[in-house]
Amino acid sequence: MQSNRLGWILLAPTLAILFFFGVLPFIYVVYVSFHQWNPFAADPTMIFNGADNFRKIVFDAEFLNSVGVTVLFVLFAVISELVVGYILAQAFMKEFPGKAIFRTIHTLPLIMAPIIVGSVWKLMMTPSIGIIPHYLNEWFGITVNIGTSPVAAFATIIIMDIWHWTPLVTLTLIAALVSLPPDPFEQAQIDGANKRQIFFHITVPMIAPAVVATVFIRLMDALRTVDEVWMLTGGGPGSATRFVGVHIFKEVFPKTNYGYGSTISVIVLYLTIVACWLLYVTMLAPRSKKD
Amino acid sequence: MNTVFKLAASALALSFAAGMANADDAFWKEAAAPYQGVTLRGVTESSPPSLYIREVLAPQFEELTGIRVDIETTSWDQMFDKAIKDMEAGTGIYDMVYIEQDIVYSYLARDFLTDTTQLLADNPALKAPTYDEGNFTTFADYFRGENGHLYGIPMEAFIKIYLYRTDLFEDPEIQASFKEKTGRDLAPATTHAEYTEIAKFFYEYGQENDLQLWGATVQGHTGHPASWYEYVETVAPTFGIYNWGIDADNNYAATVANGGEMNSDTAKEALQWWLDLRQYAAPESNQSTWTEVGTTFGAGRAAQGLVYGENAGWIAADDTKSLVVGKVGVALPPLADGVMAEVEGGEGYIGYYDGGAFGLPSTSKNKEAAALFLEYIGQNEVQPDWAVAAPRVTNTATYDDPKVQDMNEELGGYYDMLRDKGYLFAGAPAYPFHAQLREAMAPTFYSILTGDSSVSDGLDKMAEIAEATLTELGYRK
Repeated sequence: MQSNRLGWILLAPTLAILFFFGVLPFIYVVYVSFHQWNPFAADPTMIFNGADNFRKIVFDAEFLNSVGVTVLFVLFAVISELVVGYILAQAFMKEFPGKAIFRTIHTLPLIMAPIIVGSVWKLMMTPSIGIIPHYLNEWFGITVNIGTSPVAAFATIIIMDIWHWTPLVTLTLIAALVSLPPDPFEQAQIDGANKRQIFFHITVPMIAPAVVATVFIRLMDALRTVDEVWMLTGGGPGSATRFVGVHIFKEVFPKTNYGYGSTISVIVLYLTIVACWLLYVTMLAPRSKKD
Repeated sequence: MNTVFKLAASALALSFAAGMANADDAFWKEAAAPYQGVTLRGVTESSPPSLYIREVLAPQFEELTGIRVDIETTSWDQMFDKAIKDMEAGTGIYDMVYIEQDIVYSYLARDFLTDTTQLLADNPALKAPTYDEGNFTTFADYFRGENGHLYGIPMEAFIKIYLYRTDLFEDPEIQASFKEKTGRDLAPATTHAEYTEIAKFFYEYGQENDLQLWGATVQGHTGHPASWYEYVETVAPTFGIYNWGIDADNNYAATVANGGEMNSDTAKEALQWWLDLRQYAAPESNQSTWTEVGTTFGAGRAAQGLVYGENAGWIAADDTKSLVVGKVGVALPPLADGVMAEVEGGEGYIGYYDGGAFGLPSTSKNKEAAALFLEYIGQNEVQPDWAVAAPRVTNTATYDDPKVQDMNEELGGYYDMLRDKGYLFAGAPAYPFHAQLREAMAPTFYSILTGDSSVSDGLDKMAEIAEATLTELGYRK
């Protein structure tokens, strides 16, 4: 009984912080999402409008476009990061000259703030001046202009995201691979299993929890990407890179459309939870059943 | 005898001036005495005039008064975000906020700002002998409320001007080539057709000679409001489309059908002219905001351009940043037929008179100390060096200062133009919904820039969106 009380006392500060900085603001956002509220409207007060904002969102072409663009971005970015991250993790499991230096350099992007990453890539991608368009043109005769080409802008953002976040995936997978017991691998080899069989039937199932956790983290991060995109393209050209995070930012800050912006935030949160749940069900639930 | 008399008079004048300076210093120390230990916090855009406040004026004020001043310089978007959140939530973090001329109406509508005229009238001990509202140029009027009182102390004011490269325009070989190709003399354009012709000529000249030189700057970012502003504030007025094409006196009509001009044939002609310029502009144009336009011109990559005056100073005079020092001329923007006559007659304007003020949020917890700082930056005495460091003039007397006159020469007569022709330019329309309306139309505007919408369809759609948004916001009945 006493240890129970002590436990609650020790937990209390964390719970209080979570309540005041997590739960309360969330409840407030949900409350605001049922209101029409723009402090720069003729009537700046909050007006309850029921589910009007939620109805409006279904017909909001800009929002639907931003969701579509975001889903594409998440698919391309997260899958690429997972594949590249795994290959690098496997490489780092082996010994080779300069491994420590390479691993340090490889991890450096991770410690950079997203806004800085966006700025650096903006400098590198400025048409005709930036180092990337310059050499692409000089060496291959390819003209890249992220201000006019939606494909170039979108691809640049994916590459930037892969460059920035793959180290996180690599580090997580290295941790998972290092902790694998050697016995199942040795037994599989004795039984004559080839590399592909070992990978799909032993490695993947054993690192699946780490993979899913990493995908969850990257998925949630990618869904709310704002800073890098804001710096690099501002959501353009046109609406080509207006991801849902950028869309919410533009709705809430410059437009000060707090009511509708809150509605979009709630919906995006809901979509994120659904996406994570689907991922969990498809990747981990079958395994739990087998266990 | 005459020399002795002059020396004596000079000595007397010097000792009088020194005495006045001491008296002024004594005022600041005495007035600041109750506020020792106070730290004032301000947020502003990271622009040359604001950086001067942070680097020079704030430390000077601190040394004089003992009141610490922290000025946060950040991006344009972040600045508004931080200031509005602070004032909306009433947290009182900031004692001074930058008020861009186009947002003052929104702030006044929400009672975000302190009436500085009244504050100083109510607290005579705070009134500096060297501060006088009458010292400001008429630009200060943009920051007055309906009662005629000041709600912000002007800190920057400049016009968006036509800059051109004098070394290119005055080169005899280039002049001869231009004459041969076009049949007319090379001179700053006065019409849109001339401007395009010059842009085309220098674009071709750059290509033929393998130079990193293009015909014009274009502030044409395809995902940033800077492009929208270049069109509505700089281009459209030169065709006679004012106030974004919205008729505020006619129930905020935007469509031609309802009496607005946003989608008029003239507006479409203006936008098309600007879009066509991009073919002769530097490749970075469609990623350029106001900052990059200055950088493009300063890097010598454009023969001419419409550039914010705040950048003109470093472009023309700072050889650590600019490659075209001493090679810059200024002129009025090109105009359509009849626009100048219309503007001289008191209707409309030919370009953007940009600027801003430092305001004192109603939520500030250090209003009196902040008022002292605002008076300090509003004095005539601090203006000349500030105007030289960043070309902005907010006080009438600044124009006559020898330092400013020297700078005027370097800038090709920019200050003369600001003083003599400033009345032809105007700030943004007095709408309390700038950002709200702009962002509602922005996606459509960007789709015009990328070619996904035609100019005609895009402007038709924008005008409809404008009216719908204004109805939703409650301004259009």
